Amino acid sequence: MKNFNVLLLSLALLLSVNNFAQEYKFGKVSKAELLEISYPTDSSANAAILYESKNIYYDYNQSYGFRLITEVYKRVKFYNQKGFENASEEIFLYKSSGTKEEISSLKGITYSLIDNKIVETKLKKEGVFEDEYSENRDQLKFTMPSLTEGSIVEFKYKIISPFIYNIDKIYLQQKIPIKKLNVKISMPEYFNFKKNMTGYLPIDLKQSRGNGKIAFNTKSGAGRHYGVNTVSRNEIDYTIDINTITATNIPAFKVEPYCGNSDNYLSSIVYELQFERYPNRPIKHYSTTWEAVAKSVFKHPKFGGELKKNSYFKEEVDQIIGKISDPVRRTALLYDFVKHKMTWNRKYASITRNGVKKAYNEGVGNSAEINIMLISILDYAGLDVKPVLVSSINKTISLFPTLEGFDYVIARVKLDKKILYLDATDKYGEPNVLPDRVIHGSGRVIAENGTSQLVNFRPNKVSRIHHSVTCQLSEEGAIRGKQSTNRSFYLAHNFRAKHGSEKNEAHIKRVQKNYEFDDINSYELKGVKDIGKAVSERFEFNIEEGIEVIDKELFFSPLLFLRNGENIFKSDEREYPIDFGYGYSRSVMLNIKIPEGYEIVEAPKGSAFKLPENMGNFVYRSSVIGDSIQISVTETLSTPFVPANYYPVLKQFYNQIVEKEGEQVVLKKV
Amino acid sequence: MQNKTLRYLVVATLLFFFKVTTAQEKPELNISRIDSTLIQNANAVVRSEEVITEINSINSITTRTKRIVTVLNKDGKGYADVYESYSPSIKIKKLEAIVYDASGNKIKTYKKKDFSDVSAYDGYSLMNDNRVKFFEYTPLRYPYTLVYESEVETTSTAFIAPWVPIFGYRLSVEKSNFKILNPASISIRLKETNFDEFSVESTKSDQKVSYFISNVSAKVKEVYSPSFYDLVPVAKVALDEFSLEGVQGAASDWKSLGKWQFDELLSGRDQLSEETIKKVNELVSAAKTNKEKAKLIYQYVQNKTRYVSVQLGIGGWMPFLASDVDRLGYGDCKALTNYTKALLDSQGIPSYYAVVYGGRNKRDIDAEFASMQGNHVILNIPEENEDLWLECTNQTMPFNFIGDFTDDRNVLVVTPDGGKIKKTKKYEPQENVLRTTATVKLKTDKSMVAGIKKVSEGLEYGWNSNIQFETLKDQKLKYKEYWGYINALAIHEINLKDNKDSIKFTENIKVSSLSYAKKVGKRLLVTPNLFGCDQSNLPRYENRKTSMVISHGYINTDEYIINLPNGYTFKSLPEKKSIETEFGSYTYELEKITDSQIKFKRFLKIIDGIFTKEKYEEYRKFRSDIKKIDKTRIVLIDHKN
Repeated sequence: MKNFNVLLLSLALLLSVNNFAQEYKFGKVSKAELLEISYPTDSSANAAILYESKNIYYDYNQSYGFRLITEVYKRVKFYNQKGFENASEEIFLYKSSGTKEEISSLKGITYSLIDNKIVETKLKKEGVFEDEYSENRDQLKFTMPSLTEGSIVEFKYKIISPFIYNIDKIYLQQKIPIKKLNVKISMPEYFNFKKNMTGYLPIDLKQSRGNGKIAFNTKSGAGRHYGVNTVSRNEIDYTIDINTITATNIPAFKVEPYCGNSDNYLSSIVYELQFERYPNRPIKHYSTTWEAVAKSVFKHPKFGGELKKNSYFKEEVDQIIGKISDPVRRTALLYDFVKHKMTWNRKYASITRNGVKKAYNEGVGNSAEINIMLISILDYAGLDVKPVLVSSINKTISLFPTLEGFDYVIARVKLDKKILYLDATDKYGEPNVLPDRVIHGSGRVIAENGTSQLVNFRPNKVSRIHHSVTCQLSEEGAIRGKQSTNRSFYLAHNFRAKHGSEKNEAHIKRVQKNYEFDDINSYELKGVKDIGKAVSERFEFNIEEGIEVIDKELFFSPLLFLRNGENIFKSDEREYPIDFGYGYSRSVMLNIKIPEGYEIVEAPKGSAFKLPENMGNFVYRSSVIGDSIQISVTETLSTPFVPANYYPVLKQFYNQIVEKEGEQVVLKKV
Repeated sequence: MQNKTLRYLVVATLLFFFKVTTAQEKPELNISRIDSTLIQNANAVVRSEEVITEINSINSITTRTKRIVTVLNKDGKGYADVYESYSPSIKIKKLEAIVYDASGNKIKTYKKKDFSDVSAYDGYSLMNDNRVKFFEYTPLRYPYTLVYESEVETTSTAFIAPWVPIFGYRLSVEKSNFKILNPASISIRLKETNFDEFSVESTKSDQKVSYFISNVSAKVKEVYSPSFYDLVPVAKVALDEFSLEGVQGAASDWKSLGKWQFDELLSGRDQLSEETIKKVNELVSAAKTNKEKAKLIYQYVQNKTRYVSVQLGIGGWMPFLASDVDRLGYGDCKALTNYTKALLDSQGIPSYYAVVYGGRNKRDIDAEFASMQGNHVILNIPEENEDLWLECTNQTMPFNFIGDFTDDRNVLVVTPDGGKIKKTKKYEPQENVLRTTATVKLKTDKSMVAGIKKVSEGLEYGWNSNIQFETLKDQKLKYKEYWGYINALAIHEINLKDNKDSIKFTENIKVSSLSYAKKVGKRLLVTPNLFGCDQSNLPRYENRKTSMVISHGYINTDEYIINLPNGYTFKSLPEKKSIETEFGSYTYELEKITDSQIKFKRFLKIIDGIFTKEKYEEYRKFRSDIKKIDKTRIVLIDHKN
């Protein structure tokens, strides 16, 4: 299997930059741009960013020190009215303990061509709205005035941030195409940033150097004797690291099915502060290595600090483990204990909020509280357990060391040679069967000594669903029979999570609607409560007109209502990987008794085909024994994660399956 | 063995845990006290609810609510979600929630300060000034009971929350009580619906109104059922004299309420600059009739403006000035309608602001009860022989086409002489037509190529024409999903034509599939209905409770010329099939043209209407029969062999 995380790293290819490219200056929109009726390389675009520039730099001021400035300038073209939804901009401004980000110099102009003349309309206060979005964020929105088809808007603003250690993620691709993009990041030598890029587009990043000056005044302590203070002006020169990214004709980003978090594939660049180094002062390190991150996590009061607490559970845990010494049993008992005791409040978190103790007492907690509790309990019971930091499906995966890249925690237990991943937030969870939110993400197991290791949760083992049908056909085309369906591993887990609490009546309705049965009887469901085991359904069914009668001959696909009738993949191409989460195997066995007095004229032949590199295969067997047709079909996709370059063969694989399963049996009266 | 021990231990520890933390107990909340008939089909039970609305003056109403809800399972959690919205005119004075477990032991108390406070994002406004206080409770186990108390004062008395004791499906009600206290004997109006069906008890005097309902079992949602609010008891309340965000008013019927809305909310907001009027004069100078002029003005508005919703204070009820819309080029439904009206006024074409409930499910403005109703505004132009209706928030809709969002329902038309209830246009089945024609070539290798033409009119226009605004990639995907039953369908060419003058949308699509037919020995199996297979799958009800509503009728016709593969022919063709019902009719027909060419014809008409609950099964059967016939296949034989 290909490594998920490695695939996320883009290859930064260098493209030659067009030297004759158009210049973009605020206020200078040309008639030619206004006349353009569609985006040259994507005529279906309703709107496009003609130009976007982002200039991120540090500004020094004696009273504030360094501040992080982000200057944004955008020119957006609307080819038709459907593009107008891109005429509003939303800006979030972070705030924390009295300091906050501020926006200034917001300017916007709409340009329209009316009677062959360019008409400008300015954005005014009435089009700008501010609101408190949450405890830590204010929101500013504005919408541009007087748009008509073909209009262009321009706006620019500046965000001044006291949070100098955080450069926000810079997106290099959007939902609409970008004609030209210029990004410049200037970092004083005092701040050392590491950068990383994601996405499938080539990114051309150039590095250069510049100079800056810090000017400040000092009052020299002339002393009491003279009674005079002299103010002197000082200057310090420093170098600036400059990164520039220039890109042209960036295509619009499209979300595809089966992709986990599509943002992982959006082109972007992220800067992470490594250390701060002022002259004559010791270096101040921020997260630099995974080792440092791991160590800092264990020192973090809301992680390591919480992990160390054990008095709150001691009494109960002692009772549970009692004299049981077998580590496997201990693990199972304690995992079940936390799973039953705790209810997840649906909050994703990598650190605690109210703390494990309060969570324990109330029986409710976020993902960090519940699983940190699980880890300390297992640790207390003497097991080899370590925390796993997780970037869930909701979080774009961070490719360099930082606690910020995670929003979830689970536990890893080592038993002899077996490794178990445990998530106690999931009531239907079992060891190594993790909820969707985790499995589509990525994790890193960390140890107090600083060692850490990347973890891929996608299992090697496939999950199975097996249908077995025995049925009898009637001359009139009715089908009557019995079916049993077994689901194992992830498929059993997902069934429980979705239908586990439903009543029998609801199960019957679901099955009946699903297969369009006229009747369903003796429905039985087993294993739903026995987590870890397979789930099996059994029932009897009746379909009045299941088989088509044409000119006194009977025609049908021998997979009957279990045939796979539609390919899940419909797009012609795909830019990024297909993420199933887990591999699966679907098998169907049917024994079909034909009506008396009929013979089999035609029946599908056996056939088999597969995907390259053992990613999957399909086997179809058929045989006729007396008055029965026996069919056995197995479809296996063993790779949970398929790189984009295999998309055409994967799509073809499913087409072939639909095709093969549609093959017909013909019965004729003897 | 291991599992058993574990279970025992878990139970033991949980009991222990509870003994320690529980102190207060309310045995009356114990779920064993709920009647079993109320548990059936229910996700939650309203144990008791008391809402007291006290009319202090025409500028102040205080509402005290005490609601006790037992949540039986996770799907019922929403019925115990607690949130209270507020705005500059609504003040929350008290807010408290207590959670009890299944046996009535207190688990947790939430005071006002424990509630989260967020901006009430309504899903479409760029900005509004409503905020919401709510709390999030994570249930440890089900069932649990929530006791909720609040006190809210509002200075806007034009809108009083109606009493809806059964507020959702799968919710049963043990008892619910609504009181209106009116110590100053302010003149109020009431309208009660479905009270008899639910044996609502009511007592009324000048200073007090009281309603009581008890032991109502849970309702289950059924497809094609009437709107929920038509099925449950509702009491609407309105004051004859009221205040709206500081604006006073008096009205007791639609005429006077409409008059007030016109005078206070609309009048004087329609001024336009000389320059704009001059522009409009030029725009319509060549047009002869009012209708032609109105169409030009409508298109002018569509080109000039877009929908942006901003709801602040009285702005939630009063449109922006027409001159502001003229300058900014955007506004909400009120603003854009008022603007269009102003432009029409400048040409002496009378038009009226019309308040409506927008939505695919038709909902009327209550003709018999005048109060602040509706959620959307459209424009009415009364022509001599017909009423024209304009949806002013959409930039692409044809003139005088309102689609299924505001069709066939009562609206309040606001005129200078007062309010009037009018019905919007009804689209009859024969107006909503989708005609699909195709020429198909089948080949000996099972493949198929076809050119398809779909022409949509009436509501079908509204349902199908939006594909033109999708990207090419998404258009292809949409067609592949639409004909999802054809494997490996390739879309080669898409040619769309939107004729807004005749309100007709034409789609020309070229498709192919490498394996359309099934090869069985010498036979080829083919479904002649290539592009019009019914894919509905309606549920059965053993005992349906509600009548059946088909909200919109339509006609679909299909006609394909199918060229058979070289050398292949058919032995026989299935007979013509027809079904006639009171919900509509259907025919399926195959016709021989030559030995190698056949014609497929299909006709489906669905008639809108309200039918008794017994009819549902007939309708289900009708659709299911259609679905089966649609899939009919024919056998082609290689006649050379």
